[in-house]
Amino acid sequence: MRAHAGGGTGTGCSRGGGVRPLTARTGAARSRRRPSGPAGAGWPAMGSLFRSETMCLAQLFLQSGTAYECLSALGEKGLVQFRDLNQNVSSFQRKFVGEVKRCEELERILAYLVQEINRADIPLPEGETSPSAPPLKQVLEMQEQLQKLEVELREVTKNKEKLRKNLLELIEYTHMLRVTKTFVKRNVEFEPTYEEFPPLENDSLLDYSCMQRLGAKLGFVSGLINQGKVEAFEKMLWRACKGYTIVTYAELDEPLEDPETGEVIKWYVFLISFWGEQIGHKVKKICDCYHCHVYPYPNTAEERKGIQEGLNTRIQDLYTVLHKTEDYLRQVLCKAAESVYSHVIQVKKMKAIYHMLNMCSFDVTNKCLIAEVWCPEADLHDLRRALEQGSRESGATIPSFMNTIPTKETPPTLIRTNKFTEGFQNIVDAYGVGSYREVNPALFTIITFPFLFAVMFGDFGHGFVMFLFALLLVLNENHPRLNQSQEIMRMFFNGRYILLLMGLFSVYTGLIYNDCFSKSVNLFGSGWNVSAMFSSSHAPAERRKMVLWNDTIVRHSRVLQLDPSVPGVFQGPYPLGIDPIWNLATNRLTFLNSFKMKMSVILGIIHMTFGVILGIFNHLHFRKKFNIYLVSVPELLFMLCIFGYLVFMIVCKWLVYSAETSRVAPSILIEFINMFLFPASETNGLYSGQEHVQRLLLVVTALSVPVLFLGKPLFLLWLHNGRSCFGVSRSGYTLIRKDSEEEVSLLGSQDIEEGNNQMEDGCREMTCEEFNFGEILMTQVIHSIEYCLGCISNTASYLRLWALSLAHAQLSDVLWTMLVRVGLRVDTTYGVLLLLPVIALFAVLTIFILLIMEGLSAFLHAIRLHWVEFQNKFYVGAGTKFVPFSFRLLSSKFSDDVA
Amino acid sequence: MFEGAEFYFNVDHGYLEGLVRGCKASLLTQQDYINLVQCETLEDVKIHLQTTDYGNFLANQTNPLTVSKIDTEMRKKLCREFEYFRNHSLEPLSTFFTYMTCGYMIDNVILLMNGALQKKSVKEILVKCHPLGRFTEMEAVNIAETPSDLFNAVLVETPLAPFFQDCMSENTLDELNIELLRNKLYKSYLEAFYKFCKNHGDVTAEIMCPILEFEADRRAFIITLNSFGTELSKDDRETLYPTCGKLYPEGLRLLAQAEDFEQMKRVADHYGVYKPLFEAVGDGSGGKTLEDVFYEREVQMNVLAFNRQFHYGVFYAYTKLKEQEMRNIVWIAECISQRHRTKINSYIPIL
Repeated sequence: MRAHAGGGTGTGCSRGGGVRPLTARTGAARSRRRPSGPAGAGWPAMGSLFRSETMCLAQLFLQSGTAYECLSALGEKGLVQFRDLNQNVSSFQRKFVGEVKRCEELERILAYLVQEINRADIPLPEGETSPSAPPLKQVLEMQEQLQKLEVELREVTKNKEKLRKNLLELIEYTHMLRVTKTFVKRNVEFEPTYEEFPPLENDSLLDYSCMQRLGAKLGFVSGLINQGKVEAFEKMLWRACKGYTIVTYAELDEPLEDPETGEVIKWYVFLISFWGEQIGHKVKKICDCYHCHVYPYPNTAEERKGIQEGLNTRIQDLYTVLHKTEDYLRQVLCKAAESVYSHVIQVKKMKAIYHMLNMCSFDVTNKCLIAEVWCPEADLHDLRRALEQGSRESGATIPSFMNTIPTKETPPTLIRTNKFTEGFQNIVDAYGVGSYREVNPALFTIITFPFLFAVMFGDFGHGFVMFLFALLLVLNENHPRLNQSQEIMRMFFNGRYILLLMGLFSVYTGLIYNDCFSKSVNLFGSGWNVSAMFSSSHAPAERRKMVLWNDTIVRHSRVLQLDPSVPGVFQGPYPLGIDPIWNLATNRLTFLNSFKMKMSVILGIIHMTFGVILGIFNHLHFRKKFNIYLVSVPELLFMLCIFGYLVFMIVCKWLVYSAETSRVAPSILIEFINMFLFPASETNGLYSGQEHVQRLLLVVTALSVPVLFLGKPLFLLWLHNGRSCFGVSRSGYTLIRKDSEEEVSLLGSQDIEEGNNQMEDGCREMTCEEFNFGEILMTQVIHSIEYCLGCISNTASYLRLWALSLAHAQLSDVLWTMLVRVGLRVDTTYGVLLLLPVIALFAVLTIFILLIMEGLSAFLHAIRLHWVEFQNKFYVGAGTKFVPFSFRLLSSKFSDDVA
Repeated sequence: MFEGAEFYFNVDHGYLEGLVRGCKASLLTQQDYINLVQCETLEDVKIHLQTTDYGNFLANQTNPLTVSKIDTEMRKKLCREFEYFRNHSLEPLSTFFTYMTCGYMIDNVILLMNGALQKKSVKEILVKCHPLGRFTEMEAVNIAETPSDLFNAVLVETPLAPFFQDCMSENTLDELNIELLRNKLYKSYLEAFYKFCKNHGDVTAEIMCPILEFEADRRAFIITLNSFGTELSKDDRETLYPTCGKLYPEGLRLLAQAEDFEQMKRVADHYGVYKPLFEAVGDGSGGKTLEDVFYEREVQMNVLAFNRQFHYGVFYAYTKLKEQEMRNIVWIAECISQRHRTKINSYIPIL
């Protein structure tokens, strides 16, 4: 049986379902706002996410003897960011360039060691704890030790290479002798004339003079040649010697190593017989050119045998020597491998310290280094302690100390995160690092991001799978394999807490949509009663008004309609979310579309309004109260009078019209359009006096636009021109003065008055110089146009919430009907067999299409809604990140960059 | 090539062009030169070069650092880049690359022959050869006695073979003949390269032809300048001039008759391009040499080559600019190592 729910859009169900996420959302946002409320007003607690931390510029006076130790202590703690005081000094003219060079030399040696150790296949142990930077006294010792090691290693390796090369030559020679024997045998068979020539003596390698001495016209050159060069070699021989040579060659069966490159390649053995001395020279040169390995050619069998025997014994000897050398080398390397990790880390730290010292400037007496650092105010105490510790370690008589100095420069932004908030902060930082002390949207993103994602991904089956996956990652987050995973897995791992919340919220919205793998779940029993539609149960008087069912209707109509106005049919809203009966209804989509569309508009407007309100917090903090009255309030009015009213109308319609009156309910779209068009014909609106209220709202909207466009520029102009007028100028400058006071408050109390005056003068000059009415006007006009148009387009943009959630629901529905339903329809005997692959396929497609693909798309859209629609209402994001000098930021994996 | 090859250019060569443009961005800037000039020792030069795109290319060199070590490493780096381009190129770009290397090959052959004449060992000379012009048969060059010998035995299979048609003679290879051989080879090489670019058409021809024309004319001027006071006859001299330049034919004829620098300058005065160059040459004591002026003009043309897209000229221009940069660094390094700082600023700035 199918049910068709009656006409009106605003029936009980939607009241239960539609309003719920709305309240939940505002509740959630508010509950996040509450703890940070007091923080926004005063100084934030340490680690607050609401604003970045207050920074101060500190000057460190480091006694030249203790500077190294102090920086080492600072680096371990990672408290401060150094400013480069020698920006116009090129890198090689800085103070500690010699030390940096020494570090580089050490790095070179260590790289060589690591390379050799890796080549010898010796495992490199990585220590768990990272050793601190070496004390200066040990550096020399370390350097000496490493240099000695390098020299020794180089010598042993060189010896080894030499031995290997020797061995290789001998092996090649034996091969050559073995192969050429066959040549000669063949030659002897066919050309016995060879025997007439007296044997050639070959005392030394490459001796060609023998032929000269003997006056013989026939000579031999034999050797090995690289496989690839054979053809060219033969051609060249032919051309150069004009055919006065005979070349015989054969391929060597086993490939040998090339002594120069270490590659294993195939070789050819060749034997060249030639006539004449001139040609002999040419042949020799050509052999050189092709890098042939030429060996003396024995002429008699006895000689050959003798040489071969001699070679064999020498090869044996060489093998033993080589073996011993290799053993020794291995020993040396094993010993080096033990300490190489700590050395690499130490040298890295040392180099980092000297780089930082290069950023410091010397004072006049050359006795102490002055460094300027940005330090979070909360960490000043730690900074002092670190300095003390550094001084103590080096045993200096005069301790290093620090001093905070006032500055007008914008400090870097530091927002401390933990493993939970880090992911959300990264989403915000990807858009832009927040300006110093401005409201940080990451705090709100923690809730709104998973929520908006879930609105688009509303399915509690899928949400639960995602939640389980994220939970798995979270529970095993200390597992080493996860920490070192690559690329995609790494991405999931870093966003595990985001995924966790996204899954959790999807379970929630899935419950609201009553969607689990596209099926509804009937937890509490539907609020609709079908039997009440039968005429028998009603009093005859009521029956006349209603369209009731009887047997003929039930038998003959394809679609039946449930009428909520019939008593007993609709027994009240479903307790949580959408009534499961809608899953059976043919007009389910119409109903859900209307609900989701309205919901997304409502959510969007609340989200954007919240953004504008956060802007007020920014203006309050930066003491620009006029911005609140001239920018934020008109913006709010503009938004609320048009779109806030739209939300009001939607909610009003839900509340005012019941199932009985639904047929006379006006269309919100028409009402909203009529608000701007003032039609002549009177329609009955949602409530009485609607026309007057709408007119009033329109007037407010129209008034807020010029204020938004001109208010701020005119006010600034008035401030600027009215310097001589008493009232205005005072209020204008107190604003600026308060602003600067905050930074100057660190000065001694007696200086404040003076400093303040100077500062005020400075500010006045600055405003005088920078005041450019045209520019301010242009900026404000552009901003206003963007805002007004943005209100409309951004509201429309939030409709993606509806579109994506619709797409997701439809896609999962399609997957269900195309796969599982087919599997379930087959009769029992085969069905069991079929169901297994069907369910496997269903699972795979669900994971890849619905969870990963759809999830990714919903994720991207949620990001966009935050970056564009939400953050452009208040977030400037023009700051620089605070990058502390910290050894932890040095990569601890040395094999990557050293080897 | 048909018209509008821009449409297809990126299919085959887009990646390499992108790459070479990226490489061009890594050339040292004016600021880098200013810093380099301030260096006190070669170690300083090394440290400064580390901050540029050269990276730690000298990291594995053991002390002490010398100018030649820097030079070799820089050449190796250029060679690596060039090999990469060449290995990834398709026709006709690969032919273009072959043409580019031919110039270096000629130089290497001549260098080796001169070495053989002075009875130096091949190994010693091989180190001095430009890595871009290396080829296998190169080392066998000294088995040849005459140019035709050289051609028949050694170079017949190399890309240099076609350039030999004019210089097949049975003269023994003495110093003068080698020099003549070099110039004749270079002449036919330039002409062949010019023809290749011209036939290729499109932007490549528009960019490469002026560069090669300039190269040809520069050689003509240099040959003339070097032949003053030698036994080279005027007719012989004329046969050495590459004929693909702007000077051809009248300018070359006049140049062949020139007897001193002043007459040469008068020939150049007829040409709008070369007149300002000769005017920029300083007299003996100070100012720029003719060579420097030519280098500056070459750099200028090569830099301008990057203003057009879809042509092969960028590869040529990049290699030449990189070479100029290497010459500059070597010059600066030489000045530093010889403590001869007065002339350190006379490197050729690459704009």
